[in-house]
Amino acid sequence: MQAGSSGVGYGLKYQVHLIRLSADGTELICEGLFSHPNEIWDLRSCPFDQRIFTTVYSTGESYGAAVWQIPELYGQLNSPQLERVALLDAHVSKIKCVLWWPSGRNDKLVSIDEENLFLWSLDSSKKAAQVQSKESAGTMHYLSGGAWDPHDVNSIAATCESSVQFWDLRTMTKTSSIDVSHVRTIDYDTKKDHILVTAEDETGIHIWDLRKTKVPIRELPGHTHWTWAVACNPEYDGLILSGGTDSAVNLWLAPTGSRDEITSDSGQNSLSLKVDPLVNSYTDYEDSVYGLAWSSREPWIFASLSYDGRVVVESVKPYLSRK
Amino acid sequence: MEMEDPPLDDKARRMRDLLSSFYAPDPSMSAGSQPKGASFDNIDTDSFDADQYMNLLVQKANLEGLLQRHVEMAAEIKNLDTDLQMLVYENYNKFISATDAIKRMKSNIVGMESNMEQLLDKIMSVQSRSDGVNTSLFGKREHIEKLHRTRNLLRKVQVFNAIAHPRVVFYGKEQFIYDLPARLGKCIKTEAYADAVRFYTGAMPIFKAYGESSFQDCKRASEEAVVTITKNLQGKLFSDSESIQTRAEAAVLLKQLDFPVDGLKVRLFEKLEQSMGDLQVKIGDIAGALEESNDEHENNLQLGFSVPHDASVREFVEAVRAYRIIFPDSESQLIKLSEDLITKHFLTTEQYMKERVSTATFLRVLRIIWNDVLVIDEVLPEGLLHDYCFKVSQSAVKQYFSSTFSHLLQDVSDALMNVHVKPKDVSEEHHLQVALESGKNSLLKGSMDLLLGLRQLLEDNLDLLVKLRELMTDWVQAGFQQFFEALDTRFLLLSGRNKLSSQGQSPREGLQSEKVICGLVLVLAQLSVFVEQTAIPRITEARTEMAASFSGSGARGYEHGPFFLPAEICRVFRSASEKFLHHYINMRAYRISVLLRKRFTTPNWVKHKEPREVHMFVDLFLQEESVVTTIIKLGLKSLQEFVRLQTLNRSGFQQIQLDIQFLRTPLKELAEDEAAIDFLLDEVIVGASDRCLDPTPLEPPILDKLIQAKTAETREQNSSAASSTTQQRL
Repeated sequence: MQAGSSGVGYGLKYQVHLIRLSADGTELICEGLFSHPNEIWDLRSCPFDQRIFTTVYSTGESYGAAVWQIPELYGQLNSPQLERVALLDAHVSKIKCVLWWPSGRNDKLVSIDEENLFLWSLDSSKKAAQVQSKESAGTMHYLSGGAWDPHDVNSIAATCESSVQFWDLRTMTKTSSIDVSHVRTIDYDTKKDHILVTAEDETGIHIWDLRKTKVPIRELPGHTHWTWAVACNPEYDGLILSGGTDSAVNLWLAPTGSRDEITSDSGQNSLSLKVDPLVNSYTDYEDSVYGLAWSSREPWIFASLSYDGRVVVESVKPYLSRK
Repeated sequence: MEMEDPPLDDKARRMRDLLSSFYAPDPSMSAGSQPKGASFDNIDTDSFDADQYMNLLVQKANLEGLLQRHVEMAAEIKNLDTDLQMLVYENYNKFISATDAIKRMKSNIVGMESNMEQLLDKIMSVQSRSDGVNTSLFGKREHIEKLHRTRNLLRKVQVFNAIAHPRVVFYGKEQFIYDLPARLGKCIKTEAYADAVRFYTGAMPIFKAYGESSFQDCKRASEEAVVTITKNLQGKLFSDSESIQTRAEAAVLLKQLDFPVDGLKVRLFEKLEQSMGDLQVKIGDIAGALEESNDEHENNLQLGFSVPHDASVREFVEAVRAYRIIFPDSESQLIKLSEDLITKHFLTTEQYMKERVSTATFLRVLRIIWNDVLVIDEVLPEGLLHDYCFKVSQSAVKQYFSSTFSHLLQDVSDALMNVHVKPKDVSEEHHLQVALESGKNSLLKGSMDLLLGLRQLLEDNLDLLVKLRELMTDWVQAGFQQFFEALDTRFLLLSGRNKLSSQGQSPREGLQSEKVICGLVLVLAQLSVFVEQTAIPRITEARTEMAASFSGSGARGYEHGPFFLPAEICRVFRSASEKFLHHYINMRAYRISVLLRKRFTTPNWVKHKEPREVHMFVDLFLQEESVVTTIIKLGLKSLQEFVRLQTLNRSGFQQIQLDIQFLRTPLKELAEDEAAIDFLLDEVIVGASDRCLDPTPLEPPILDKLIQAKTAETREQNSSAASSTTQQRL
């Protein structure tokens, strides 16, 4: 984190690893090991403070979520306890994830459990989080995850079994939805407004224009088994990374084009469809890949995490030149 | 006046002025004759003002002048007095002489009146005598003049007849004209219209010149007869029973009689067009009859003739022949009509081809049309109808092929769509098999029939087809290429894979029809393989064989570039079959996933109770018919992933251990790759133990017992199911 890119990984014995990528980009250095009280199911770094992150954890029977701060290390490697900033303790059902707004400083957090959406107001100086508002997703829907719109601080997308729902956080109401089932991960395109990418278990990857939610604007085949994770590159248009349970990470190039191209010029669209969107498939994994992240500082580098606990950092630079 | 009489002195002039002013009825008249420059100082004018004159004179003149003027004036006044005296005398004299003359006239006039009356009487009597003479002579003179004119005319007629109609000369000249009506009547009776017309036209100039006078009666009678003749001739012209010769003659005669023949022509052509309409309707009937016709009948038809159609065509041809003779200038019109007939023939044929048409039928129809063309061509060689027919027939033949191809496409897709209507007592596997076989059959048979049809058309020695041979080969080649491209698109449509392109269909609908489509997708995959491996090679083979036997035409077709690219089609269908298979596997895997999702998200695995039996999901898992290795692998992988998402207690782990253990045997029977299945099943158990708080496995005896119970249950179910099916069969 201090030098170059870094990521946070899950630990086998409930540990949090702080990893740093060496300046020359060839080595991963473990900066710190912090024990975590429970089994971690979700972990998200704070986009504006690299020492803060959230976890969703399971105690076996129940679930919890908390905001943590990495303590100052002072050279010692064997870590002390993590400092807990706040406990997000209003949930009763199974917590799915905690979201930060990705585009800047924002003292709000969203947490999603199977039945409810919570909007928290975080005061790190007082080390407290207050529930600002809460809404039930409805009895028929089990929420499974979500993403915060980087272009609109008031809008989030939440996934459930049969659809992706869009919520307005000011009124805590559902504004619209896309009919698509079994979405594993969703990710907003940070460069382009209205573009959302979904990864589904069986049917691969779909790219949606949120102004026309009836049909996706593009479809990518995804993985031979489930497509678990998907991440849009923060810098390069249409560069999408996906990880799947077939132990592979696929790099796709699927530019969605300008609005005109999407709506009217179907001829050109079909032409671009003919070009194989799969740029490269990274297959050096031994088990299912569950975690993916692009570097925020050097957007051609990504880190991936697989079930066997391995973090792999790769550069897509050789493939960018092909563009 | 002054100008005329310049020497007249003042005195004389004044005299005259005075006289004239005296006699003039209007003083202004006399004033008009006065010198123009007259003014108040002119003493002789009306406007003379004595005072002013005086003043002027006094101012202007000196004393001497005034005195002189006075003397002058006194003299003038004296002169005037004498003049007046003289005038009175003269006047008196004239008056006296006038009175004398009047007295004389009065005495002379008294005796004249009686003389005048006498004269008038005499003149009147002379006039009446003259009138009497005139009237008594008038009648005779008229008669003489008439006779003279007739005589002159007869002389002329005699000369004319002697030149134009020698025979008539034998008759007396007057006799001929006067006999004409009777003669015409006789001609009408014997129908010798030609003679009648000749007589009448011979007499025509005479009637024209003298009809108003001498031959008035004769002319009227003749004209009546001619009206009858005209009527009869029209009747003949329109009657179809009369010979063409007669009708043509009638037309010629009518023309000679200056009858407006063009109107008749228009009417006749309308009639001909109508009869053509009758001719049209029949072609459909013929084609229809051909379909049903038995062998015996067919032999007759083989010649390309059908009795009713042939008759009507002959009629048409006869009519054309007749009209050409009757109206020698009607050629272009007839050509146009015949072309219309051909065009309509083909239009009817094309209409008819929307239904299914066998090659034989099509060939027969073509033959009939070509025959018509040849027959018409005979009577209308200028029309070049065979060229026209050749042109028009191209589109018909082309359409024949394209409609055959589209029927073929329809057949294949119909066969496949039968998958959706599954009879209840047939197993799905069998049902799909049937659909596949019928799809294969209709594809192969259809293609072979089409080639056979082409062969038939190529082998036929009909001139029309001989010319089209090369084109037909090309069309069929292009047709096959298009057909397979269309088939690929149709397959894709049927598989529902192009959800993206069909905007209207929501994903929900797609999911609903998924169950039906699932089997169909598999059939499509197989059929695609069939197209690639069997249909295309067979078609290519048949085509090459045909090209060999028709090296003359077929080989040339290749030089134009083979439109049909079997290699490309094979490649398209190979990739299509892979796509469909992949799609099918995905659909199957998806169903298993849904099943597993339910299984793993419903129970609370942390509070799982001790396993008492194999969970029923294994039945559903095994029930997925046609579970091939790939699908099992995908399913087991999903199972592993689902397990990883749970946290299990010991019993939960044991339940999964039990279920997986049970699955081992039947799955290995189903799948080919035993090792892989074993590995994946182990992986599930490893995954479950990883996620287990207390991974203590079940005791082997308990495990065995529960599995045996399940196996026995399954066996029982199978046998009862089998017996129920046998019962159904019985």
